[in-house]
Amino acid sequence: MKLIANLTLLALSAALLTACSKDENAVTTQPVQSVTVRDLAADPTSTTAVSTTASNGTAVQPLPATGKYTLYSLRDNKVIANTDSASNKWDIGFRSTSIIVNGGAIRSGQGGANVYTGTFDALTAIPTSTTFAQDQSPTQLAVPSGSGNGWYNYSSTTNLVSAIPGRVLLLRTGDGTKYAKLEILSYYLGAPASPTSTTPSRYFTFRYTYQPNGSMTLN
Amino acid sequence: MLTNLLLFTFFQQPAAPPADTMRSRPLDAIVVTATRTERQVGSLPMPVTVVGKTQIQQSGSLRLNDILREQTGLTIVSDHGQGLQIQGFAPDYTLILVDGEPLIGRTAGTLDLNRLTAGNIKQIEVVKGPSSSLYGSEALAGVVNIITESPTRTQGSVSARYGANRTSDLTADVALRQGKTNLYLFGNRYASAGYDLTPETYGNTISPFTNYTGSGRLTSQLTNRVKLTLTGRYFAESQTANAQLTDQQIVLGTGKVNEYTINPVVTHQVSDAWKLMYRYYRSGYRTSSDLRYQTTGVDYDASYFRQTFNRPELVVERMIRSRHFLTLGVGYIGESVAATRYPGRQVFSTRYSFAQFEWVPTRRLTVIAGGRYDNHSQYASQFSPKLSARYEVSPTIALRASSGVGFKAPDFRQLYLNFDNGVVGYSVFGTQELAAGIARLQQQGQIAEILADPARFGNIRAESSMAYNLGIAANFQQKYNLPLLLSVNLFRNDVRDLIETQVVAQKTNGQNVFSYTNLNRVYTQGAEVDGSYRLTVGAGRLVVSAGYQYLDARDKSVVDAIRAGQVFRRNPETLVTEQVKMADYGGLLNRSRHMANLKFFYELPRHGISASVRGIYRSRYGFSDRNGNLILDVDNEYVPGYVTWHLTAAKTIRQLTVQAGVDNLTGYTNPQNIPTLAGRLWYVSLRWNWQQRAETQLNSL
Repeated sequence: MKLIANLTLLALSAALLTACSKDENAVTTQPVQSVTVRDLAADPTSTTAVSTTASNGTAVQPLPATGKYTLYSLRDNKVIANTDSASNKWDIGFRSTSIIVNGGAIRSGQGGANVYTGTFDALTAIPTSTTFAQDQSPTQLAVPSGSGNGWYNYSSTTNLVSAIPGRVLLLRTGDGTKYAKLEILSYYLGAPASPTSTTPSRYFTFRYTYQPNGSMTLN
Repeated sequence: MLTNLLLFTFFQQPAAPPADTMRSRPLDAIVVTATRTERQVGSLPMPVTVVGKTQIQQSGSLRLNDILREQTGLTIVSDHGQGLQIQGFAPDYTLILVDGEPLIGRTAGTLDLNRLTAGNIKQIEVVKGPSSSLYGSEALAGVVNIITESPTRTQGSVSARYGANRTSDLTADVALRQGKTNLYLFGNRYASAGYDLTPETYGNTISPFTNYTGSGRLTSQLTNRVKLTLTGRYFAESQTANAQLTDQQIVLGTGKVNEYTINPVVTHQVSDAWKLMYRYYRSGYRTSSDLRYQTTGVDYDASYFRQTFNRPELVVERMIRSRHFLTLGVGYIGESVAATRYPGRQVFSTRYSFAQFEWVPTRRLTVIAGGRYDNHSQYASQFSPKLSARYEVSPTIALRASSGVGFKAPDFRQLYLNFDNGVVGYSVFGTQELAAGIARLQQQGQIAEILADPARFGNIRAESSMAYNLGIAANFQQKYNLPLLLSVNLFRNDVRDLIETQVVAQKTNGQNVFSYTNLNRVYTQGAEVDGSYRLTVGAGRLVVSAGYQYLDARDKSVVDAIRAGQVFRRNPETLVTEQVKMADYGGLLNRSRHMANLKFFYELPRHGISASVRGIYRSRYGFSDRNGNLILDVDNEYVPGYVTWHLTAAKTIRQLTVQAGVDNLTGYTNPQNIPTLAGRLWYVSLRWNWQQRAETQLNSL
């Protein structure tokens, strides 16, 4: 694998967390900030083009996928090693178009997710009526798989996966105590405006807002 | 269908059509498609477009699609062949008839109109709105009936044409008459070297092809009351096929199409009031292609498609008190298909009966009520009623309204297709084959991801629509002596269970697995305006005609979702998401909101000169989603609108006509989105006509 993830705003996030921890008694006065994660590799199949020798017909050979989820901690804004999959350190995981949460019969954490329809910016608090689904089985995930069911659409004409605009994942963290909202922005390396079917895929760009104080307000 | 019988001058016309003040007008053509009886187009209660032989010849049209694309409200769309879009419906929803009998060979839904030469067409009739009440399945958007030549005297013609892309057309026909028997023979050869709009990629945009059409018709008045018509047609095409595989290897081969039709009809005029017609129709259509590796000659892909269609039919016509007409019909359709892409040989059958009553209570009012019952071997029975009426407000203005149900049964392909495209790498399964197909691909490790639940595709339903057409026609000839015709038609089609392809899974090669599903609740609505004006210019006459269609075709579930604020879009540059407003929704893909035409036909009979200038406009139309919400809502999801201009000029000296023309004068092309639009095309043609003088014709042969 050539490139795992290009995590930006890590420093910003760390600064934010320190700020919060300093102001423990000023509970909700500190506005939470949204963080953007770019090109998080989610088990890409083809990362480097094998040199093409047209004469004997050898084309690009995709590298085999690992079949493993890239696990992520929203609080720490970083990738959690796959060896920690049976912990509640991670909140959300990505593998190609599949998204998992750390909660449910097949997970060890207390997390959950709800696919909310609306814009990320307009959502200032998780509605109190929200029910958080969990990963009950590989075919029954909190974030439903399949085109049009969960977070993405697949276009037969362009052969592209695109994050459905207006879908926001409302998340409960792996430890079951915090909440966040998360919007997938792109499935392609570099989040290009016009990806093609040859653009390397399975690279998530997303933004999220994590509320460290345990409340459901997100602004 | 009846034209070949009824248009003979010696045929004993049982009675005049319903009283009609417009009958003396030369612009009012006789049509048969709308009611299965011979009627003047202006007297009909539903919208009908008629294109005559003169216009076809003056336009320099070679194939059926050439002439249809120039008619108001019609456009040619490409999807495995060039088909007709009527009132916003894809080509699959329009029934194509030749002399009243259906053409077969919709390998992928579209019946390729390029298959039909314009050389033996006497008249084209296009009925808009559903006609399932008379014709059954497929006649959902409309019916196109091609009436072929059936001369009643001895005559002949030969014509040759050559043009850009080494496109050539040779046509010859001869009509012989002896006593009460007529024989007509027609032959056509059409060939082109094709063209390449994208020289930077391998292969032609359109590959070289050659095709032949032969047809014949024998008509004989056996007795005073019995007439026999025997019609046959044969078509054969051969086209070079080549493709470059993803591994750079080249495969070459030939694609062949063969088609035949046989159609004997016996008409028995039992009495002035009763007429019986015994019709039989058989058609066979087959294609084959054989692709081999260029370097090794090893077989790459060989495929075939064979379809047969058999239909006996009995039609009874009854005239009541010289005013009202009752038409009854009963028939049986047996169809079969065998193809590399279908498992085994699949068989369909349909039993049907229909009835139509044409009630003419007063001179000014005509009401037509009809219905058809189709009993399919594979599906629930369908009943398709239709009611239409025309009222003549004044000698100038007539109002017409019609409402009916149309349906289209799922076809062979949508049920049984089992196809892996070897060149591109995608797979398509009919709904009945999907589960097995997915299982097979999974076993072979070809499925990367299931994107939709295959079980959901289960039982596909017939598509049906409820349509309304409301029109007003004005003819200023009689009262104002003004050669002006104007018509407006408003239409609305509410479609249920529209069948569309849908992606089921993604393969490991990055391509898709498709199947078919009912896409609920679509509507198309719009307005069509048509006008023509005839004026004298010097010693000649000029006919100016113009037409416009406004179309609004939408998916009702998308409309509901937008209204509920549930549809969003993301700006691909800024990645910011916003709500989609109703005004942003562009409706169904491949539908132009505006289509227009402007045509000038000039004739100077004394000097044998004729010329035409025709401009055809199609506004932008959607081709694919680009911002992830699967609907048409931003500018870069559209193919830009365009105009094509076409010119012809012809000079006739005695029996010889020379014609020259240019199609697509400005040379507009869009290789990526409209590969069927070649650049500027010039051509010249020579036609020789010969006709025996009327008084000597009885002694001919």
